[in-house]
Order: sequence, then structure tokens, then C-alpha cells
Amino acid sequence: MKNVTGDAEKCKEALKKLLPAEDFLTFDFCSAGGAAFCVVFADPLTDKDLLGQQVISPLQNYRGKLRAEDVAEAIFSPETKTEKSVEKLAEEVLSGNPVVLFSDMDMAVVVGTKKIPVRAVAEPPTDVTIKGPREGFIEDFKTNTALVRRRLKTGELKIDTLNVGRRSSTTVAVCYLEGTASQKTVEEVKQKLNEIDIDVIPDSSYLTHFLASRPYSLVKQVGTTEKPDIFAAKLAEGRVGLLVDGSPIALTLPYLLIEDFQSSEDYFVPPYRATFTRLLRLFALLVAIYLPAFYVAAQLFKLQLFPVKLLLTIAGSIRDIPFSPSLEMLLVLLVLEVLNEASIRMPKYVGMALSVVGALVLGETAVSAGFVSTPAIIIIAFSGIGLYAVPNLIEQTSVLRLAMLLVAGSVGTYGIILATAFVILYLVTTENFGAPLVAPFAPVMGRDLRDSIVKYNLGSLDKRPKTLKSPNRRRLA
Amino acid sequence: MNKISTRQLLFFLACITPVGKIVILPALLSETAKNDLLFPFIASYLLQAAAVFCALLAAKKGLNFYELLAHTFGQIAAKILVTLYALFLLFAGLLPILEQKLFVQSVFYDTLPSLVAFAPYFLFAVYLMAKPLSSHGRVWDILAPLSVIGIAGIFVLSFGSADFAALLPVGAAGGKGFLEGTMSATAWFFDAALLLPLLGKFEYKKGLAWKGTLCYLAGGAAAAFFVAMFYAIFQEIAPNQLFAFTATSKYFSGITMLGRIDYLFIFALALVMAFYVTLPLEAGIECVLEAYGRPRYLHTGLAVAVTAVFLLITALLDYRFTEVLDAVTKTAFWIIPAFSLAAPPLLLPLRRKQHADR
Repeated sequence: MKNVTGDAEKCKEALKKLLPAEDFLTFDFCSAGGAAFCVVFADPLTDKDLLGQQVISPLQNYRGKLRAEDVAEAIFSPETKTEKSVEKLAEEVLSGNPVVLFSDMDMAVVVGTKKIPVRAVAEPPTDVTIKGPREGFIEDFKTNTALVRRRLKTGELKIDTLNVGRRSSTTVAVCYLEGTASQKTVEEVKQKLNEIDIDVIPDSSYLTHFLASRPYSLVKQVGTTEKPDIFAAKLAEGRVGLLVDGSPIALTLPYLLIEDFQSSEDYFVPPYRATFTRLLRLFALLVAIYLPAFYVAAQLFKLQLFPVKLLLTIAGSIRDIPFSPSLEMLLVLLVLEVLNEASIRMPKYVGMALSVVGALVLGETAVSAGFVSTPAIIIIAFSGIGLYAVPNLIEQTSVLRLAMLLVAGSVGTYGIILATAFVILYLVTTENFGAPLVAPFAPVMGRDLRDSIVKYNLGSLDKRPKTLKSPNRRRLA
Repeated sequence: MNKISTRQLLFFLACITPVGKIVILPALLSETAKNDLLFPFIASYLLQAAAVFCALLAAKKGLNFYELLAHTFGQIAAKILVTLYALFLLFAGLLPILEQKLFVQSVFYDTLPSLVAFAPYFLFAVYLMAKPLSSHGRVWDILAPLSVIGIAGIFVLSFGSADFAALLPVGAAGGKGFLEGTMSATAWFFDAALLLPLLGKFEYKKGLAWKGTLCYLAGGAAAAFFVAMFYAIFQEIAPNQLFAFTATSKYFSGITMLGRIDYLFIFALALVMAFYVTLPLEAGIECVLEAYGRPRYLHTGLAVAVTAVFLLITALLDYRFTEVLDAVTKTAFWIIPAFSLAAPPLLLPLRRKQHADR
């Protein structure tokens, strides 16, 4: 059976055939006028109280002969739609929307009484701010769209939904401001989403692979945020955003590397402070990547790089260390990565124990036992802290740090310089959705530099970034 | 990838070209021209600036190098000429690569390492050469500030040690010193030749030739100032200070306390050099691709082949830099000027596309 016929019983059987699991329930009842109905719904996903109040009770009390055009009046729900295809009805039931079947009517009604357990809106742990909004996205798609709509009260905000995933049929919303976002980018994003052929999309991060121009690249090519204020600001700049049902992480396109050096707080503090903190983040990132590498390269190949007094201190510390500088640094780095991984995954109540084990047993004892030197621990600690100054780039920078360390241990400082040249060349030749990853630095875009590492006063940011190719560049009159 | 923008081209001419001229050249000039080392240096710069002007003017025709030749001489002759030119670029690229090898081995290691320390450069070179030449504009956007920071940092750290009176009296080295100095400088001055394979990859905008030449001369002025400062610091022992920009700043008083902080600037300049010394090889490959088409396999194949040849040559000439230098600056001193100074002006009378279509 492909379409609903006037026989509610047959239709119910067809639906049960498509949805054989036990948690899909049916409820048959009659109206006061004698008409027979059947409701098919997914038990865990449906608000049964609402279903009773808005659908079953009014229909039971309906006295006249129910005709197709009367259905909307008979049901007290603000969210209804009619549907004829049995497959579509099954999809609605799977989404949590109950389906009402009528005898003698060749259509069914879908009622929006979905009830999915959601957590409360809270501050996202990955993007904490002192000043500015603290709301974060949650896993519920509707709540997330509401959080965005609340910030962009304009009809220009388009939220086009489509389903991705053969089995998960995950709702993905393409959000953009019409007339502000580049239409070409919007179409390209939709096309790429439509081309995805995968069975399940458990999280938005799955989509990034399909949206990236270099899917196997180490470099991030899709922006992410957990905060609706940042998401709305990015849409206002002319970007396209993606909200994925079941994921608290929204995606934004096109992505520029500089975005991860900017924090929402930068826009709520004076520009000189924002500039200083951005420079600090850049410095911290460079320290995180290069410090262990240069330390090893200097020890192995060019001791001149150390000031004399520091060299004497280091020489005293490493005298009895049984490992080569590069192996020593690799071991300490490995321990740091393990501690990091364990501290994220382990239950909170044993976190204290891990701190004690990590700091005292591994750090203090390893130094006094002569396994590793104090400078190595200090350098890795400094590098580890630096890495978290730009939290959105941790995955990339930790790999880069390791690569630099290996290069430094084998070729020395020239190896680090060449590796940097590789990275520069790779970054400047990466583009996604027509936007160069390293813009506004390469290619230099004069006006866009006003909100890059240097942050100008809000009054000077009167135009949208040129890189995003917005059809409406003026944002401040 | 987009075309090279005017700004990127100007960045290249002003900020990147001077870097290659402040490594070994100042020491060589101080050996031949002594305290008059600025004269051959400036003369070489002025000659090259004239060639740069012509090369940029040739861009007005809106054609690439091969097309320019093909419209006048026909395709076969153009292919022969372009292939010859590509060979010249590879020849011109040899000395800077050997210079960089020597620089890396001497400056970045406490003890002279084997060729293995420099070998990773060739990995980078093959990756760089496999990229389209037009993508270099963005690289120059990043390298230009690095180069400025590097040169400015070295200036600041070195300036206090300089005694500019050492450059006097002017003319002490005589005409012979000037001539020998100019001859030895020719090996480092072929920037105009690098611009020809870039024709067609940037648009000629009004005044580009003048702007480009002025930028080139501005970079030259900075390099000339550095050369003067180098001699002002080391004077008679200047010829022994082979790697000029790593030597001038080592007397900075803060180094005792802070360590060799000047190395930060040296690293920045070494990074710029890694790209700059590869450019002649890339330009050579670009010539071949323009003439024979650019299927991906040919581009990658040429990049790999050229790199392999240069790795082999570098390995063979590992300890023979002086001999190569003599060969390029004395025996075959005419080759580089013949191409880099003569080729750009010779392009100017060639036919434009419109004329060929009529």
C-alpha cells in the first residue's frame, strides 16, 4: 500500500508493517457520532497528555459526521498537516509526530505533539565567557532554531531544512540571511548536503568531512560554535550556518582560520584589550607549537641559541638524563597527552586523584628519579597551556607540535623552518566555498584586517568581510 | 587559484628580492671592491631595475611569455626559445641553492653536518614546484612582512656596531675593483628574468612598470644600506664574514643576557629564502608548461625530475661552492646578464595579440 485509502484498518496494518517495533503503538477509538479513528504513534517520542487533550478527546466528543475539511476544526492542535503517502506517515511517526487515520477518508493527519527529552539551555563548557551571553546550543533542533530566531528577528533569516542520512534521517537546517549571505555559497552548501550518502549522521562533525574541499586535510575547514550569539553574528556577517538535530555544535561556512583567534568577548571589551588578547592567543599558539621543537633543536644542533647562564642551568639539569633530548621531550609530551585524554574521559569524582598522580607522581618523582629533566617538564607545561589559549584548534596544533618535534629532533632548526614553509604553502593554497583559509592575510584584504589580529573600534567595522562575498557589504550606516 | 595581484607583485619586488642579495654577496663584494662595495652593488641593482621595468612593461601586451614569442616567431621557434630560457633559469637557480645549502650547514648547526641536513629542502622544493606559479601571490603576502621584520630586526640589532666612516675614502678600490665586483654580483641579479614566466599571471594596471621598478629600487636601497652597514661593522675582515646577515647582529649587547635573539630574524629570512631560491626552478618549469601544455602528470613529473637533478648536482658539488662561484661569475659570467638584462627589453617590440589576430 502506497497511499492512504478510506480503510483505516488496512492503513494501520501497512504502517505497522513499516514500523514493526513494539514501541510503536496504535489506539483505536470512536467519536460520539460513530466515526472510527486510529492513532499511530511512537511511545517514547510522543507527548501522550497533549495527544489526549488536543486530538483524542475532541474527536471522541465530535458529534457530527466528520468530513475532510472539518478535520482542522475538530482537532485542537496548532500544528497539523494532512498526508497521503504511507511512507511519509511512517517517517512522521519515527520523528515523534502521531498520525491520525480516519475511516472513509483518503488522507491522514499528522499532529505535532512530539516530546523529546531535552536538557536545559546552559553555558557550553568549550566556550566560556566572562562578559556577554552565556546561552549555548543544546541537542534539540527546535530549541536551537529558537535561540537563533530570538537574536535575528527578521524575515530575511531563512532556515531551510533537509534530511541527511539514509537511516537517521537527521534534520539539518541551512540558516542564512537572505540578501546578506552569498547565494552561491548557500546553493553550494545545499548541493553538498544533498549529495551526502551515509546511513547515520550522529553529530554535526560528520558533515564537516563532506563540506570540506580537502576532506583528508589536517586543517579545519568548517567553523564550529556552540553559542547562538556567535552563530547569529556569523550569519549577520554573511556566512551560512548549519544546525543539526541531535548536535549542540553548529557549523558555519565559509571558515577562515582567523575566526578561531577571535572570541565573542572581544566584541564586548575595548578594542585595545581585544587586540592584546588576540595577540596573546597567537603568541600562545606559536609557543605551543614551536617551543618544544626549538628546545630540542637547540640542544641537539645549536647550543648557541641559549643564553650562557640558561645553558649552564640546562646542562646541569640534563646531565644525568638517560634519554636523548628528543626522546625525553617525546615521552613527556606523550604523558601530557595521556593525562589530558584521561582527565577529559574519567569520572569527575576521580579527577582529584588524577591531578595528584599526574602532578606529583609523574612530574615530581620522574624528575627526582632522573628520568626527565625539569626544563623538559616546564617547556611541555608551557606548551600545554599555550595550546588551550585557542581551544578550537587543539586537534590541529597538537599534531603540528608533535610533527615539529620530530622534525626538530632529526633535522634541527632548519627542519622547523622547512616544516613551517610547508604549512604556510599548504594553508595559503587551501580554499573552501571560495574563501581563502588564511584571508585576510593571504590574500591581504585591507579592510578585513580591521577585525583580524588587530581589532578596530566597532564604528570602523562598517563593512562585512570582503572574503565572504556578501551581496550587501554595508552593515553600519 | 586567482591571478597574482599588483600588490603581491610589488611585495615580491620590494621585500623578497633583496633577501637573496644579503647572504654571501656582501662578503664577495668586500673582497673585490673593498670599501667601494656599494658601487658595484648599486650598479647591478640599477641595471636590473631597468630590466625589471622592461619586463613589467611587457606585461602590457596581455600575453604570457610563450604566447608573446609564438605570435612573432611562430610556435616551433617559440618552443625552442622558451626551452632555452627554462634551461637558463635552471642554470641561474643553481648558485642560490648551493649558497643556501652552505648557509644552512654553517649557520644552523654547531658542527658542519652532512648533506642530509639540507636534503629535506628538496622535499619542500618538489611540493612547492608542484603548485601553480600563480598561487605564489598569496605566499608573497605572508613572506613580505616576515622579510620586513627580519631585515628591520637585523638592522636594529646591528646598527649600533657600525662605523660608517670605514666606507671612506670613496674610490679606493679603483675601476678594477668596481668591474670585478660587478661581475661577481651578476650571479645574484636575475630578478627581471624571473618576471618573464610570470607574464600573463598578473594583470597590467596603469603605472605598474613604474611602481614595480620603484619597489624594486626601494628593496635595493634597503639591501644597499645593509651592505654598507656590513662593511662598516667588519671593515677589513668583512670578506671572512661569509654569511652577512647572520654576522652583523652578533655584537648586539643584549645577546649575552637574552641569547641569540637575532636568530629569530635570521629564521624569518631563512624561511623567505627557502621560497625565493626555489623560484628560478619553478619559473623554468612554468616556461616548459606554457610551451608544451600543462597536464598534471607533466607538472608533477617535471617538479620531481628537476628536484632530483638538483639534489644530484648538490650532492656532487657538496664541497665545491667556490668552483661553482668562479664558473658562474668568471668563466660564464656573461650568461646571466645576457638573459636577465637582454631578454626583457627584447620582448618590448614583439607583437601584441591584437596585431596577430588581424
